Amino acid sequence: MMTSDLSSSPSSSGTEFADPNPSTDPETNSERVQSQLESMNLSEPSEVSDGSHTDYSGGDDDDENAGAVEVALSNGNEGGVSNGCVAGTSVEEEIEGGEASSRAEYPVEMEAGEEPPSPTSSGYDGERGSSGGATSTYKADDASEDEIREANVDGDTASQHEAAWLPGKRHVDEDDASISWRKRKKHFFILSNSGKPIYSRYGDEHKLAGFSATLQAIISFVENGGDRVNLVKAGKHQVVFLVKGPIYLVCISCTDETYEYLRGQLDLLYGQMILILTKSIDRCFEKNAKFDMTPLLGGTEAVFSSLVHSFSWNPATFLHAYTCLPLPFGSRQATGTVLQDVCASGVLFALVMCRHKVVSLAGAQKASLHPDDLLLLSNFVMSSESFRTSESFSPICLPRYNPQAFLHAYVHFFDDDTYVMLLTTRSDAFYHLKDCRIRIEAVLLKSNVLSSIQRSIAEGGMRVEDLPIDRLLRQKPNQGQAGHESPRDVSVGTGGPFGLWHFMYRSIYLDQYISSEFSPPVTSHRQQKSLYRAYQKLYASMHENGLGPHKTQYRRDENYTLLCWVTPDFELYAAFDPLADKAMAIKICNQVCQRVKDVENEVFLQGASPFSW
Amino acid sequence: MGMASMSSGSESLRLCVFDLRRGQNEGQELDKILFFYPPDQTFSTQLSVIGLSEGLITFTRLFSPEAACEVIEAERHSHVFYEAEPDIWMVMVVEKNKEIEAIWRVDALQRILKEVHSLFVMFHGSIRALLEKEPTGGLTRSHLYPFITDYLNDLFVGKKLQLPSFRETLKERGTVQMLTLARDAAIEVQSLVGVLDSCAGTVRCHSMILFHDLLVSTTLSPDDTVDVFTYSVMRLTRNAISSGTSSWSYLRKGSTLSQISSRSSSPQLLGSSDPSLPSGNGNNAGRVIRPLQHDKWSKGTDGFLVTDIWGRDATPTILLQQTQERVYLLTYQYKNLTLVLLVPDNAIVNGELDISFVKHQVIENASAKILKVEEKITKGWGGENAYHVSGYRYLIVDTDMEVSRASPPGKVATLAKETLLAQNKLRETVDTEKSRTKEEKDMEISIRAKNNAWVMARLTRGKELYMALEKASETLLDATDSVQSFSHKYCSGVFSMD
Repeated sequence: MMTSDLSSSPSSSGTEFADPNPSTDPETNSERVQSQLESMNLSEPSEVSDGSHTDYSGGDDDDENAGAVEVALSNGNEGGVSNGCVAGTSVEEEIEGGEASSRAEYPVEMEAGEEPPSPTSSGYDGERGSSGGATSTYKADDASEDEIREANVDGDTASQHEAAWLPGKRHVDEDDASISWRKRKKHFFILSNSGKPIYSRYGDEHKLAGFSATLQAIISFVENGGDRVNLVKAGKHQVVFLVKGPIYLVCISCTDETYEYLRGQLDLLYGQMILILTKSIDRCFEKNAKFDMTPLLGGTEAVFSSLVHSFSWNPATFLHAYTCLPLPFGSRQATGTVLQDVCASGVLFALVMCRHKVVSLAGAQKASLHPDDLLLLSNFVMSSESFRTSESFSPICLPRYNPQAFLHAYVHFFDDDTYVMLLTTRSDAFYHLKDCRIRIEAVLLKSNVLSSIQRSIAEGGMRVEDLPIDRLLRQKPNQGQAGHESPRDVSVGTGGPFGLWHFMYRSIYLDQYISSEFSPPVTSHRQQKSLYRAYQKLYASMHENGLGPHKTQYRRDENYTLLCWVTPDFELYAAFDPLADKAMAIKICNQVCQRVKDVENEVFLQGASPFSW
Repeated sequence: MGMASMSSGSESLRLCVFDLRRGQNEGQELDKILFFYPPDQTFSTQLSVIGLSEGLITFTRLFSPEAACEVIEAERHSHVFYEAEPDIWMVMVVEKNKEIEAIWRVDALQRILKEVHSLFVMFHGSIRALLEKEPTGGLTRSHLYPFITDYLNDLFVGKKLQLPSFRETLKERGTVQMLTLARDAAIEVQSLVGVLDSCAGTVRCHSMILFHDLLVSTTLSPDDTVDVFTYSVMRLTRNAISSGTSSWSYLRKGSTLSQISSRSSSPQLLGSSDPSLPSGNGNNAGRVIRPLQHDKWSKGTDGFLVTDIWGRDATPTILLQQTQERVYLLTYQYKNLTLVLLVPDNAIVNGELDISFVKHQVIENASAKILKVEEKITKGWGGENAYHVSGYRYLIVDTDMEVSRASPPGKVATLAKETLLAQNKLRETVDTEKSRTKEEKDMEISIRAKNNAWVMARLTRGKELYMALEKASETLLDATDSVQSFSHKYCSGVFSMD
């Protein structure tokens, strides 16, 4: 099968291109964009196309013979929370290689379960504790160490459509000529300023060389005019650009996210790359503009894909704060004390983490860890299989701390969830750090911290249903149930009191946040993601550049009633039923703040070395 | 061959119109350019702006075939796109500059492009039709250059181009502002409209009546009403004719003086970069008609407005969007009352002879009613601040009817800059939300800004309310109550949430 539009492009002329989804519109070829820019004789896209296009012989049965287009119906859309990419069409295409039986486990995986046909649930299993039998179905997967996953749990269709999120790259067989590729809801690209592809979320980087050159052409075209392109909007699509020296980052997305957040995501993606390579890669580009960076990032796809995945479930990615595992004050205190001791012995940072949550951390004098660095660090450790199998000593860079220099990270997992990270500037410190770890482990065992952690995981975090309702409020006549029932009974199936569905509380001074567990009716993954997107928008609108922060915001649409309150000490984001009473919602918000203050010793890490930067 | 600078000199605005179907072969790129402002830019600059635009239109269609590029936000410029007709694009590049308060809402800029295009179509027909009539493009260019240049001159205050900045966030371009009538006045107006409708004998005429710069009545479709209303306020109403008078309408900016100064340069701007200016534009006049030229309308002795824009003693015609029929445009003025009569061209068989018959009919049959209507309306007219509601700064938009009402600009100007900026951002948020769904949005946003002002938006059933309150002591519930009582009192409860 030959596609005329492709063969017309200079880079792939004469190439047999077996495209399972041939473009039907020859006008919309990315090569054309370049030629339009080129035809003006005004830009000079680099010669990335020479030979970098993979020869695609017709015999590739994965793509040709078995290249049936699987149509995954997504008309299980739930009312207003749909993030449907193509308005009016509820059909997404998915290429399914017939021979690729291994992929059959997750046949529906448009943007990693982004639009599964049914509501899904996700999260770190176990951590959700009793909040639903849904995730426990997938407990078996623990063996394969998929910490982050998504699971379809729609009661009706769960058996037919199950999508588990697995780290790593998908759809490598696609490129910019595939319709399916173009329909992906969110693309991320990293390229060099000469147009060489470094990373693409979907598709094979090498096959995307032409596309990458187009992106480079757009950026440099605007740059040559003395400007810098930030954003292009087209319908529901946003193309967001971020230039970091010789590295260009681009996101093309039709998810309902704000420009600010998408740009923040690119920033984190860049940070993740720096964490692996340090900023000294800039020098490689100075020496050789055509430097190929891809080999340096070999094997890190899982790190990037898990970071991209976290953009849709981890509030730390937009709150720029970290969260702690709820623990008895004493357990955290004991851990903190030993970590501080360790830091006094020449360790720069010492952290005990449970998945992406902090148990305790300490830093050497004057050293402070930015929450974004913490996020990237835990993502790196959590998504790399090798850290789990043995104690590791690996060079890493903390982009916010010092983007130029490598630190050395000693990582050891105490169990599946809990691990210690010790960071040092000394490359010969392995045995010292190992000793430190042994000391820490001894304290954790002695103080029963590890079992407290397991208990905390099982119990989960704060729940809106558990909020103590002010007696006065409970007696309000408009709440049908009488006061003799416990608050929990009042709200079964409907979240917390008076329509409270969820909240997030961010302590500004501590750089930490606490977020309630998801409660009904926000149970499916789709609903949770939709709520996070609503929060992100709220956050962006409260922290408007040059204007913010605003003080209060009330927002109601067909999906939620959202309330946000920003003070010098904290920020509160709360989601209610769209029909929630405004006055009551305000009262509940006050109670949430009070409740968080009541338990702050358990949910926050207090008195750590000051976290200024 | 370097790339022409996108930011040469102090150019704060570039505006181009180009046709993607033209100039596709190498060496013929210039052919796609139909209009470029400022016209003294080199071709390579023009091509670079258009090349980038075209490249991004193609690029975005890869991912978003149904809606191509709408805006490019760069560090120093915003590029605003509008596909005026299939494959005919208008792109406006504006310089961002915080010092001169160049902070906009993209939607407001896009509305400028929409407005100039629909006015153009009203007078000259579609750009595509002109291109088909005369495929070299010369005819189209010779019409676009003076038209858009004249339009842009309206946006100049002194030598400065004033685009709708955040200070105009409580205004909505492309909508009509209505006068609220008392019942007795309404009855008089109704009867006058009846008379006007039948002024051309058996063929029914359309009419529009304005008082000052406000709409009193219309028999046109909402889209046509907006176009005719816009043109009337720009050029026909009493305030427009005596253009020294300040106006509260955003459609007319600076003073006469500044308009002259900016216009003085326009003759050499017009069509100067088009070597192939054709003679003849289908109107037999042998010259290009410039309906937006300034100071070309005046009141004749019989009360009808006269102009030589269309030639000596020639009556202008316009094209109605809804019916695609050409109609003659007659304007009668009495004091602050402006009556626009649109006579279908099939009623005019003998040219100016029939026109004067219609005029005669108006004077004969309607004069008494016009007098009465003017008197009644003037008596009930509350003046420029008639729609001021004390304590509130607001904008109400009815998107279905394309009607808006807002606090008087003088009152909006009392708001703090931070409040206006916050309101502007809020409108941007609402624009984004609206663009994501085709259905009518039902939503409510209230923000308490850093300066304690409340900025609010409520959308319900195609109606939008934007409001700013600067009373520092108010809580969210107080602010809600304020909106509620405003809604009950002035919007028949449309925006009430209970």
